[in-house]
Amino acid sequence: MEIIIILGVVALLVLFFVAQYNRLIRLNVSVSESFAQIEVQLKRRADLIPNLVETVKGYAAHEKSTLDAVVEARAKATSATGINEVAAADGMLTQALRGLLMVAEAYPDLKASSNFLALQEELSTTENKVSFARQFYNENVRALNTAIKTIPTNFFAGFAKVTERPFYEVEDPQSREVPNVAF
Amino acid sequence: MASSVNFRAAQARNKRKTYLLLASMGLLTGLVAYAALIYFGKGTTSAVVPIAVTIALVGVWGSYYGSDKLVITMTGARLIQESDNPQLFNLIHEVIIASGLPMPKVAIVVDDAPNAFATGRDPDHALIAFTTRILEVMDRDELQGVIAHEMAHVANRDTLVSAVAATTAGAIAILSDFMIRMMWFGGGRDRDRGSNSNPIALALSLIVLLLAPIAAVLLKSAISRKRESLADATGVGFTRNPAGLRRALEVLSADSTVVHQKSNAVAHIWIESPLDGKTVSRLFSTHPPIQERIAALKAMESLG
Repeated sequence: MEIIIILGVVALLVLFFVAQYNRLIRLNVSVSESFAQIEVQLKRRADLIPNLVETVKGYAAHEKSTLDAVVEARAKATSATGINEVAAADGMLTQALRGLLMVAEAYPDLKASSNFLALQEELSTTENKVSFARQFYNENVRALNTAIKTIPTNFFAGFAKVTERPFYEVEDPQSREVPNVAF
Repeated sequence: MASSVNFRAAQARNKRKTYLLLASMGLLTGLVAYAALIYFGKGTTSAVVPIAVTIALVGVWGSYYGSDKLVITMTGARLIQESDNPQLFNLIHEVIIASGLPMPKVAIVVDDAPNAFATGRDPDHALIAFTTRILEVMDRDELQGVIAHEMAHVANRDTLVSAVAATTAGAIAILSDFMIRMMWFGGGRDRDRGSNSNPIALALSLIVLLLAPIAAVLLKSAISRKRESLADATGVGFTRNPAGLRRALEVLSADSTVVHQKSNAVAHIWIESPLDGKTVSRLFSTHPPIQERIAALKAMESLG
């Protein structure tokens, strides 16, 4: 009889242990997955830029400084590694793109061109996707970091080799808001 | 009520209320079974209750499991591909990224009333549909709010919640119907009821049996209303843009056309109730008044 009780208690403890361990691992994997999603969306945006720059050049070639800023920011963004560097380059590129779109406002021919119209939808959706991917990543980081700091999961964090992950913070305070790219 | 409520608090409150309402439905089922026990005795009740629950389960489970396909047939929705409407798919992808949900099937209903719905037994079998009109009248942000509301239904598993509510309400209706028929024909009451021949207890159980189906329908509608408010709050959690959904609801409330498909059977799945507000009493309505939903979203906007 006692053996059964002891075995039962041990089995429950093992189940509890496994559940906490798996929860931490799952949260950690979600954070990595959602970071990958940010990178996918940033790459999508980077891929759109050459086309956008070419289109704008056709109508507003003398806006050289604005165009150069975008090209330079894109180059930085595509070579960035690690969350802090990626976030910083992302902020810069968001700024530069905003400048370019503001310039575009002054060229009615450019705004009316079919190429630009198609690009504008692509760019709006990509900006939103980038921003939602950041938001989803931060939600996952929040869940993981809370679990690592709270009972009972905090006891298992060391064993699962899971540590707190950094939030994805964009430097430019303006781009914390959901960007609504209006043309 | 609507003042200073952020979307997390609104989500928690609506979830709590759903649990309370579902628990009330369970309680009501127990009460009906108990009333039957008093009125008819053990023999009849133990035969009839499982039969009623089984009929309700079989009836609802089929439509729950195949909800994505069934609703397509009932509403005349047509599945579309990304190439049919790239902007709509862009918006859906945005909400997918924000929510972490899998990509749903997307359908179009040809109708000149702006409306939308979501269905499917789980997030992997989700279907969201839009009327042709809603795609014409709404701008990017408004449509994004509507999509977030529909994907919130998917995330909150509202097809399951409404299936559970419908099963319980159905079982109660069938049970009450059985019992009343039995009384009518005077049969069914066990000879050895013994202690339960107290006339007051008999009268009370009769009243319970008669009123329970109405109470069950009221509870079912209340659950549906709470799930709508919850989907608004969850949707704002995805987009962090209450203004988009709020403006979408304003467009819907300003538009007086209603979808042709007015069947009661699928009324609860649309974002705006297709049934005329005047003919459906508030208590039986599947949706909260649209002005109340707009006010709740405005309160979220004021929080910034």
